[in-house]
Amino acid sequence: MNKWRLLLPLLACLLVTGCWNRVELNDIAVISATGVDWKEGNWVLTYQVVIPQAISSQGGASNSAAVNVFSTKGPSFRSAVSKASQETSRKLYFSHTQIIIVGQEAARKGMAPLLDTYLRNHDSRETVSVYLSKGSARRMLEQLIPLEKIPGAAIQRMITNEEMNSSNFRQMTIHQVLLDLLGTTHATALPGLVVSGTNENIVRAEQLSHTSTPSKIRLSELALIADDKLVGWIDNEESLGVMWLSNHVKKTTVPFACEEEGEAHKNSSIRITNAKTGLRPQLSGGKWTMHVDVTASGTLMEYNGEGDLSKPEQVNKVATCIESEIAAIMEQGWTAVQKHKVDVIGFGDAIRKKYTKQWSKMSGNWPQLLPDTEVKLSINVKIKSTGMSASGFKKEQKKDGG
Amino acid sequence: MNKQNAGEFTPFSPSLQANVETIRHRFGGSTDIVIRMFRSDAAPDREVAIIYVDGIVDSETINESVMEPLMSMKLPPHAYVKGGKLLEALRSCVVSIGSVQEIQNLEQALQYMTDGLCVIMADGSAAALTADVNGGEYRGVTIPQTQTVIRGPQHGFVENVRTNISLVRRIIRSSDLHIQMHKIGRQTHTNVAVLYLNGIADDGIVKEVYRRLAAIDIDGVLESGYIEEFIQDETFTLFPTLMNTERPDTIAAALLEGRVAVMVDGSPIALMAPTTFFTFFQSPEDYYQRFDIASFVRIIRYGAYVVSILLPALYIAVTTYHQEMLPTTLLISLAAQREGIPFPCLVEALLMELTFEVLREAGLRMPRAIGPAISIVGALVLGQSAVQAGIVSAGMVIIVSFTAISNFVMPEFNMAATSRIIRFLFMIMAGIFGFFGIFISVLLMLIHLVSLRSFGVPYMSPMAPGPTRQGPWRDVFVRLPWWAIVLRPMDLNLRNPKRRPNGKKPPAQRHSDKA
Repeated sequence: MNKWRLLLPLLACLLVTGCWNRVELNDIAVISATGVDWKEGNWVLTYQVVIPQAISSQGGASNSAAVNVFSTKGPSFRSAVSKASQETSRKLYFSHTQIIIVGQEAARKGMAPLLDTYLRNHDSRETVSVYLSKGSARRMLEQLIPLEKIPGAAIQRMITNEEMNSSNFRQMTIHQVLLDLLGTTHATALPGLVVSGTNENIVRAEQLSHTSTPSKIRLSELALIADDKLVGWIDNEESLGVMWLSNHVKKTTVPFACEEEGEAHKNSSIRITNAKTGLRPQLSGGKWTMHVDVTASGTLMEYNGEGDLSKPEQVNKVATCIESEIAAIMEQGWTAVQKHKVDVIGFGDAIRKKYTKQWSKMSGNWPQLLPDTEVKLSINVKIKSTGMSASGFKKEQKKDGG
Repeated sequence: MNKQNAGEFTPFSPSLQANVETIRHRFGGSTDIVIRMFRSDAAPDREVAIIYVDGIVDSETINESVMEPLMSMKLPPHAYVKGGKLLEALRSCVVSIGSVQEIQNLEQALQYMTDGLCVIMADGSAAALTADVNGGEYRGVTIPQTQTVIRGPQHGFVENVRTNISLVRRIIRSSDLHIQMHKIGRQTHTNVAVLYLNGIADDGIVKEVYRRLAAIDIDGVLESGYIEEFIQDETFTLFPTLMNTERPDTIAAALLEGRVAVMVDGSPIALMAPTTFFTFFQSPEDYYQRFDIASFVRIIRYGAYVVSILLPALYIAVTTYHQEMLPTTLLISLAAQREGIPFPCLVEALLMELTFEVLREAGLRMPRAIGPAISIVGALVLGQSAVQAGIVSAGMVIIVSFTAISNFVMPEFNMAATSRIIRFLFMIMAGIFGFFGIFISVLLMLIHLVSLRSFGVPYMSPMAPGPTRQGPWRDVFVRLPWWAIVLRPMDLNLRNPKRRPNGKKPPAQRHSDKA
């Protein structure tokens, strides 16, 4: 019986405690995307709040926008967030945020406060992917995107699609950004977002009922970040070069010119399905040399050259063309990085791993040393398959004629 | 066979008239007592009486095998003896019934009569004969109502324990099948049979069953449930520690595994002991179907049990505390359903679960004809109207329905009933503490489970305590082919643990090899 007497106060405890952090699903505002802007000495935070009824099939209201966008401002991040309760009925819920868009001005001011909130708060997930926008971040969040109901999720899927198909950009999660900025070189690169097309914003759901939209969001240019500030932008081609150099190419298509046609006509292309880049630093005479070894393989997708691909020699020839094309892309990327003196490739990291002592001495002035590094490329491309046709359309035609 | 106090015995009087009067008096003049007095051709000088209870005897047998021989048959000269030897002579030469016994006192006579035997008395003898003419109206052997299988024997126990024993005897044709009868119930004198396989079942367990049965002192036993509550190890537990079945093949299988079966007259449900947690997940069909299918189904069953206990609790915990665990799109669609729902998730879940329990109970008690009406009203009220009226969310209806259906997967009804109650505890804990509450509850449940025993056998064996011999897992989560199940369940401490000599498939000769 004593056992039962003990149980009673325990049961009472159950009723006293608990439930304190209980939140019902209709008490939270799920935020799909957050925007960070810096305006007149204040942080302006923009939230893209999902309206569940507009999305679920039950509601059926397809002609209303599925998200609502509003901003709050404050001298610090969380003070701005806490002001949200003055204009929304629900608790802001950040755990399902898919993307963060940082405005160019905010990035120039410094991303440290943003990153600090992510290190400190448990409701901020580090799997959020980060973008930089040339204009204001709010503008990006207001734009509706065709096919997808939630623009935030759409942009997140856009970068995943890009990563898997052309690798000009890669998804940068807060986690990755923190790794980079707290890592060896304190530098990272973020994909940029722009609104292209006319100035007309797509902010009403009806506008999506047209077959084409006057403006759209697209991934464009790579932002280089040193320490926590925006240093400069490099274009899409240069970005691809950086991805090749830093071993972040997953799958991409490389257009190339066949020898016979000359440089101008890049009318053939290969689908790279497998690529790996290794960095080997070498110190000789006080000067750094970086050996970049690339091995890539893929399938020929398009071939408009004259060669006979049924012969191994010709295939090797084509591979050499592709190798030089990749080398050109990488050179382009390297030149851009040299110009901005931001080691987003990870040369510094490779050096630190091999030459730890030397690195600790020179790490302070690495940005100055970086442009002087000599880059030696060695690229090995293997054509796994030339596709279902060996000769090519034109050759077949000629064969018939002659 | 019977347990009566020696002090209460009333010896027969030599006067037949006096004995008959006493019996009539003892029954309070009940009209179903038939007393037939006559003078037999065998001994015309002495009056003979046949006494029995109408309705529980087979009148045809009485007429043909008792009445007629007694009335018409002349005893052969060498058997004709005077005085008290008449009964002996009747027994050996006249009454043509298998089981005839001589009894010495009135209480025995009364007891046998209520058991469906007839008592034969002769004037001048202070003794009586009983002849087994048991019979009367019984429900015939039919398909089991509660435990159906697609493949396997299709006969079930009935209310008559003798029939039930015969059903098991027909499966296990061995003299090792030992059966002991007990009478329990001061008023009902119910026959309780204990069955075990001598040489396989542990003597200690058999003795323990006897000991516990002997300790029962109650006025009546109407069903095996009475016995179960008396002999189970732990009363205050939600988990059943005795398994029951109405299938003779299940009982036979249990006996072969070394368990002890208890059958109660008047109930088609027999008990099996000892029982461990995992035996409740074994359906008789597991052993008749191919082993791979049986294993798959058994895994499904374990999953469904977990679902039927945990699913509503998980839903509550995730939607009120751990929204970040859901995929975003799922979260949004759940959130959309919850828009405008007035109750917290926990209240919503309790409401729906209780509604379901009410519907289920109503469906059970309803006369057959009204059953469909209940299901229509239930489906409409629960499924559609509640959602349309915005009282509960559609997601909750799905959760509750799936939980309810999972519950019906369990082959043993009493184990399924357990999960119905535990589910509520888990839901409340989830509503108060979220996942933390669920984990605490699961831990407490496991602690409770490992503390249970069934006739001394740990309830969670062979999982906890761990197996002491090899090969205990061959018939727990999956069922291996029959030839691989070498040993009987380890935990029963058997005298003869081996089912087969080895775990090898008997070699088969292929047709093509012959040449």
